[in-house]
Amino acid sequence: MLEGAELYFNVDHGYLEGLVRGCKAGLLTERDYVNLVQCETLEDLKIHLQTTDYGNFLANQTNPLTVSKIDTEMRKKLCSEFEYFRNHSLEPLSTFFTYMTCSYMIDNVILLMNGALQKKSVKEILVKCHPLGRFTEMEAVNIAETPSDLFNAVLIETPLAPFFQDCMSENILDELNIELLRNKLYKSYLEAFYKFCKNHGDVTAEIMCPILEFEADRRAFIITLNSFGTELSKEERETLFPTCGKLHPEGLRLLAQAEDFEQMKRVAEHYGVYKPLFEAVGDGSGGKTLEDVFYEHEVQMNVLAFNRQFHYGVFYAYTKLKEQEMRNIVWIAECISQRHRTKINNYIPIL
Amino acid sequence: MGSLFRSETMCLAQLFLQSGTAYECLSALGEKGLVQFRDLNQNVSSFQRKFVGEVKRCEELERILAYLVQEITRADIPLPEGDASPPAPPLKQVLEMQEQLQKLEVELREVTKNKEKLRKNLLELIEYTHMLRVTRTFVKRNVEFEPTYEEFPALENDSLLDYSSMQRLGAKLGFVSGLISQGKVEAFEKMLWRVCKGYTILTYAELDEPLEDPETGEVIKWYVFLISFWGEQIGYKVKKICDCYHCHIYPYPNTAEERREIQEGLNTRIQDLYTVLHKTEDYLRQVLCKAAESVYSRVIQVKKMKAIYHMLNMCSFDVTNKCLIAEVWCPEADLHALRCALEEGSRESGATIPSFMNIIPTKETPPTLIRTNKFTEGFQNIVDAYGVGSYREVNPALFTIVTFPFLFAVMFGDFGHGFVMFLFALLLVLNENHPRLSQSQEIMRMFFNGRYILLLMGLFSVYTGLIYNDCFSKSVNLFGSGWNVSAMYGAAHAPSERKKMVLWNDSVVRHNRVLQLDPSIPGVFRGPYPLGIDPIWNLATNRLTFLNSFKMKMSVILGIIHMTFGVILGIFNHLHFRKKFNIYLVSIPELLFMLCIFGHLIFMIVYKWLLYSAETSRVAPSILIEFINMFLFPTSETNGLYPGQEHVQRLLLVVTALSVPVLFLGKPLFLLWLHNGRSCFGVSRSGYTLVRKDSEEEVSLLGSQDIEEGNHQMEDGCREVTCEEFNFGEILMTQVIHSIEYCLGCISNTASYLRLWALSLAHAQLSDVLWAMLMRVGLRVDTTYGVLLLLPVIALFAVLTIFILLIMEGLSAFLHAIRLHWIDIKNSCGGTQGMFRRPKVPNDKNKSN
Repeated sequence: MLEGAELYFNVDHGYLEGLVRGCKAGLLTERDYVNLVQCETLEDLKIHLQTTDYGNFLANQTNPLTVSKIDTEMRKKLCSEFEYFRNHSLEPLSTFFTYMTCSYMIDNVILLMNGALQKKSVKEILVKCHPLGRFTEMEAVNIAETPSDLFNAVLIETPLAPFFQDCMSENILDELNIELLRNKLYKSYLEAFYKFCKNHGDVTAEIMCPILEFEADRRAFIITLNSFGTELSKEERETLFPTCGKLHPEGLRLLAQAEDFEQMKRVAEHYGVYKPLFEAVGDGSGGKTLEDVFYEHEVQMNVLAFNRQFHYGVFYAYTKLKEQEMRNIVWIAECISQRHRTKINNYIPIL
Repeated sequence: MGSLFRSETMCLAQLFLQSGTAYECLSALGEKGLVQFRDLNQNVSSFQRKFVGEVKRCEELERILAYLVQEITRADIPLPEGDASPPAPPLKQVLEMQEQLQKLEVELREVTKNKEKLRKNLLELIEYTHMLRVTRTFVKRNVEFEPTYEEFPALENDSLLDYSSMQRLGAKLGFVSGLISQGKVEAFEKMLWRVCKGYTILTYAELDEPLEDPETGEVIKWYVFLISFWGEQIGYKVKKICDCYHCHIYPYPNTAEERREIQEGLNTRIQDLYTVLHKTEDYLRQVLCKAAESVYSRVIQVKKMKAIYHMLNMCSFDVTNKCLIAEVWCPEADLHALRCALEEGSRESGATIPSFMNIIPTKETPPTLIRTNKFTEGFQNIVDAYGVGSYREVNPALFTIVTFPFLFAVMFGDFGHGFVMFLFALLLVLNENHPRLSQSQEIMRMFFNGRYILLLMGLFSVYTGLIYNDCFSKSVNLFGSGWNVSAMYGAAHAPSERKKMVLWNDSVVRHNRVLQLDPSIPGVFRGPYPLGIDPIWNLATNRLTFLNSFKMKMSVILGIIHMTFGVILGIFNHLHFRKKFNIYLVSIPELLFMLCIFGHLIFMIVYKWLLYSAETSRVAPSILIEFINMFLFPTSETNGLYPGQEHVQRLLLVVTALSVPVLFLGKPLFLLWLHNGRSCFGVSRSGYTLVRKDSEEEVSLLGSQDIEEGNHQMEDGCREVTCEEFNFGEILMTQVIHSIEYCLGCISNTASYLRLWALSLAHAQLSDVLWAMLMRVGLRVDTTYGVLLLLPVIALFAVLTIFILLIMEGLSAFLHAIRLHWIDIKNSCGGTQGMFRRPKVPNDKNKSN
């Protein structure tokens, strides 16, 4: 079963894998973070980032430096790297890349629709869109008034089209419906991606499936957590859970019934993977949030993905790690610019 | 020459720079490029250093300058590149310069912004005119629609570019027209159809001339389109879609009259804009021209200034905070110049207390500095490619100057090719001051930098070509061949002698395809050719056999001499570092090992050459067999080259076998013995203390040099050697590895030197083939047409000779020569110690570029 991957992988994807591993070596290290945390101003941060792989990516920015400028430039850098990978990829890796961008595209579509709902101009929101999930038809999203409209008119030719099967409805798009749409899209997206990786087999399946399973379960937990105290019915809630995770099916059914955090925690305790995570969550003040715990676990999985060779997971893992790193830098930068130094150490260390 | 043989003596100096004058002093030092600074603040992160603010300011200046240069190159104004490199600006001028530059930047940005705006405006107007022109044809096609338009109220065109006017249309039929870039047309049409469910009619036509995109400035192909639609809702959607595809939408005139009016209005506006734009551009050009005059020197000045602050960041502060302390490595010979530079710097800044320097004794190993001139530079670069030698080590570059071109020439031996190469190099050398050469492209610069190497390689190739008697694969008969064909006929000999010899007569000559000259017949071989190989061999069919035997032996001899030389250079190193025991325990066993095996081989080769003549050649034993027998001890008697050969060989083998354990164990055991019993006899004790000191110096150096620089392993190894705990295993391991490498290397490297023969053979054969395939064919054609044919043939021959034989073959021979030198240099540098360490060469770091 493995021979195929090991023998032929490098013919098509060896260059890119080497490249991505090189890029991974450029991630900020513990030492860099220690130095970054010590920075007094954003200028200091910039100087320190210049000594890392980021180079002088901020050189052309006029003063004063703001966090959002740093963020955009970092995103641009990641995006150009990703574009390079994508442009040099062959099938089926390019499909894999397409799947990777889909999640950003969903986010962008939802963002634009929310913007349209609040009567903001498209240009204003376009700036906030993630560059990885950019596509031409995106700006026309706000023509649509119902999900089926959206599908028929705008998204039918994008990679997002297949995910729409479950969410064709004639509902007017209000805030709740958009949120539901997002979760449904995400659900079918994750399931499709999971299926793709599973069908691909080899090491890719071995690496990517656990990562995606975790992603699905995380969504299920987060959806449950966010639905406490809203008008979302339990049946409806259950339809939003991605079914490709470890929680499927019993866990999801239990989650659908959960009414507060304690009950959710009890569900998680049935699973060896999630039990320690929920135990690590601090209560109220001082402790880590559930989100952070999930992020840490994700980072760990992504770092471990680099221990195997001949699979596509490295690309996914690298992008995710880079994203986490960007979140960290933004967090540190925000703390610095708002003079809120007590929480500056709450970034997620990348091992 | 002395400085090339060993690197210069260096000393560690401490500079006390008064804080007011530090900048000027460093500037003066930097101009001279005398010293290498040591970083005294390694533990301080880059943004916590003292002069970080100044560095930031320099960066800001650099950013402005980069912007200026970008604008200047975009405007196609030539950047004057002065040769002079201006010194770093005095501190007083820096502020002024910064202000000037900032003002310039603001002004420039303003003007360019205006210009861009105007340009964009202009482009939009041009697009509009194109659109109007093209859409007119659409309308003509659809004449039946014409009456419908007139029902609508006319558009009030208060603003030309206001496309929202469409919304004001109360009527049902509306038009949107504009331009869309070529790539998007298809998707646009599809989406339009899907969204509006066919309630629209889209007509489009390609514009014949590509236009610039006002947003990105790209020149692309455009399509003009016209959408007619029913209803306001649809119109809203159409507009959205147009936005989404970044169409440029312009109001669509409803009547022909209106169209004409707009067209006229546009034309006048375009005219106006052109004039305004020209004026703006002229002004911009003036500003840029003025800036261009000084921008080049400014760039250098800022670079120098930044470098100075970087150096200042490496200095530590005195406790009283009144002066900066810098530690520098400086060649001893330059100390005086260093003092002068300091004085000069102090004088310039008008300080009351002069900056001064202090030589501090140190145990650290200084960096290696080897001064080169334009001739030796190339060779030094070749040697440095293997690794920079440690401080005061013998520098193999000196010998490389001769051996490198020689080994190359052995492989490249051809009089003609060598001469062409020599001429080319000579051309480069004679024109070396020509500015175009030193600023040429990458490949040309490579040749230019190696011009002296090429020159010597060419010269040596001429020499070896003469020895091989090869000129474009043909031999030159300068002195007359030593062989005489007529002596092979019987007439010249006395009848009594004739019986013993195989002589030629008419029938032999007629019926044999191959005739053999027999040198044992008197008169046939009249003594050797004075220089190189006899030209008659060029005609012989057994030429290859003869040359192969000759070249093979020659390459073995050259190789072994070269390797022995490397070991001997190692002895010089040991002498200099006073590690005498290394000579006895490492170098001499190494020499014995090599010479007893391969030295004997050489001896046999030479002996056979001298002893056996044409008459006795049939009984001569094969050297190969003899050499193999040396190790196999055959039971059957063989007649050796000389009496008693067997015993001599046994003795040599015994010596070889004995030298191996010495090589393996000698040094570690000696060091162990030194370690355990210090109180032995005095002579070695003094040697020992010196040894200890030396190695301690090395260790402290290794410890303090940035860890990233070098090999961690070696560092650890060395440190443990001299740490109080004496690690015997480590030393033994190193020595065993070194010995195994050496012993195996002796054999494999000797084989490796056979490449001299192989490449020389390949070169000769290639040039032979080229001659046979081209020139011989060209020369064979009869005289009337031959002349016409010969011209292209010669041209082709010349081109192929240059590209295949000179460039390709030359490159391969060059690479092989490099490979062979690696063996030599590895031997000379005493193996592992310090060979691949990378010291920082004291350099004009402070200087820009």
